Amino acid sequence: MIAYIVRRLFQLVLVLIGVSMITFTIMFLIPGDPAVTLAGKGATPETVARIRHRLALDKPVYVQYGMFVGRLVRGDLGESYQFNRPVMQMIKEALPNTAQLAIAAVLIELLGIPLGIYSALRQFTFWDTALTTAALIIWGIPVFVLGLFMQWFFGLKLNLFPIAGGGGETVLWVIPADYLNLSCLVLPAVTLGLIEVAYISYMQRASMLEVIRSDYVRTARAKGLPERTVVLKHGLKNALIPVMTIAGIDLGALMGGAILTETVFSRPGIGLMIYTAIGSLDLPVVAGGVLFATLVYVIANLVVDIGYALVDPRIRYE
Amino acid sequence: MADTTSAASFAQPQLDSPLPPTVESEIPTTRPLGLWADTWRRLKRNRMALVGLGIIVVFLIVGMSQVIAHLAGVQLTPYDPNAVNYALTPEGIGSPPSLSHPFGTDYLGRDVLSRTLVAARISVLVGVIAVAISLIIGLSLGPVAGYYGGATDAVIMRIADVFFAFPYILFVLLIMTVLGPGFTNVFIAIGILSWATYARLVRGSVLSVKTMEFIEAARAQGASDLRIIFRHLLPNTMAPVYVAIAMGVGGAIVTEAALSFLGIGIQPPDASWGSMISAYLTYLPAGSWWMLLFPSLALVLTVFGFISFGNGLRDATDPKLKE
Repeated sequence: MIAYIVRRLFQLVLVLIGVSMITFTIMFLIPGDPAVTLAGKGATPETVARIRHRLALDKPVYVQYGMFVGRLVRGDLGESYQFNRPVMQMIKEALPNTAQLAIAAVLIELLGIPLGIYSALRQFTFWDTALTTAALIIWGIPVFVLGLFMQWFFGLKLNLFPIAGGGGETVLWVIPADYLNLSCLVLPAVTLGLIEVAYISYMQRASMLEVIRSDYVRTARAKGLPERTVVLKHGLKNALIPVMTIAGIDLGALMGGAILTETVFSRPGIGLMIYTAIGSLDLPVVAGGVLFATLVYVIANLVVDIGYALVDPRIRYE
Repeated sequence: MADTTSAASFAQPQLDSPLPPTVESEIPTTRPLGLWADTWRRLKRNRMALVGLGIIVVFLIVGMSQVIAHLAGVQLTPYDPNAVNYALTPEGIGSPPSLSHPFGTDYLGRDVLSRTLVAARISVLVGVIAVAISLIIGLSLGPVAGYYGGATDAVIMRIADVFFAFPYILFVLLIMTVLGPGFTNVFIAIGILSWATYARLVRGSVLSVKTMEFIEAARAQGASDLRIIFRHLLPNTMAPVYVAIAMGVGGAIVTEAALSFLGIGIQPPDASWGSMISAYLTYLPAGSWWMLLFPSLALVLTVFGFISFGNGLRDATDPKLKE
């Protein structure tokens, strides 16, 4: 097991080096000279040269890459062109809002597990067909379309929840401290969660169907165990693994900012921060946000994989 | 499709292992069916998959005819999709569906039906071109990695890992920020980011197929590596790839819609479903639901078609689900 974890950590480092290289290359390809952009209109060539020197843009590419990685390792993502503030600071401020949404959405999507199991155990009945059809339809709805519908129906028609905002005081970093803050969370979380419920229930059904047809479940039945024990003790344990993997990876992906959902609901999280930065070509913020999101996503994947290896020894020896 | 489900992760069969090539039963009681005949026989019984296939066919016909009409410079819509007509938008919020304008008109008096039809062109092009780009890269690198193994495999697959490491939509956004908004850049960004899925899939299948006797036979006959890879290995590892293509086209269409919705994809005057939704959404509080409903419906239906067909195809080609 230790060997497996070490191997995965080594791979993680390789991937992160690749990620930093690609991000660095992309930032280099930007049309226009950051020194000129920073110097502003009407700057003298001397000013531009001074800024270029200060930002080390006059050094060879590999030196600049080295400095870039050095800053990343120290947790320095650079400064926003627009706000002249450290990107890391901006991420820290936006993170609780993003985390609230991510955790709430993943908690909602877990409802897909019982739905999927129910569908699988009643395969080809009316309820199975209805649930599976609904899951397929909802799974395909783009999150911004569903978000707009939610805003229109629950926000404007029924006037139940605020359609935008969030980001008030929190308790324990992530729990909304007041009712307004909580009510702002409802629509975005349900929007994201509902689509994932559909996806999870579809996957849970497929995985359960596969497991209950396997030999060891047949053995469990053959030795006369009650159906309940067979399904819940023998079948479910294995059928849950792929779905928990999806939920874990989802959490990792959403922690880096649900850019579409946060944009639709004007929620001041990391996704909205990146979106706003794209509009104003604030490249350090875009790159910093993407790097941060990637790091969280990669670590979530690693944790899920290690968890997978813990419960399924076959993975370790691959 | 939520923020998390990328076109890439989306395209990956989540629960199935790659398919071994079809093995015909040893004592055929009837004439054994080929892979395609067998797949079709099983697909036919899946009503959802057939509905999906029907939607895909309609979508392709509409979209391709718009592509051809655009190239030929003719108009294949009831009205000129870009013709502004203030008489049809008395209060600046369009006019509701009527007999002459079944989908209503938008805030500039443009016919929503015509615009929705024209926008299908972008979706078809994105689906076809973006997926073609990623297929060309993925299907060249994947089999090579699997066949040669060792250092070649390690290098290619580690690069693929890096592409998997980025959260998909954010990476597309990063590329689009640098390339700038626009038609071609959307194809490029989606295309070059999705190859890793296909490469990984094919590599996995190649690993299991390459030890089989027919490959050894080809080698014994003196076939070159390239011939073995592309003539013998690749065709026998394609079944999971077809599923991934169906899902990938759906994913590419949603990604384009999302980019255009965020304002960094297709730019006006070109209409895409995503950019229509984005432009019309401010008119919803005024009660102009028709502007949003029809492009959204077109998008949702199309994506549903691809997902539904892709899932059906996966079940139909999965040997584990064979009775």
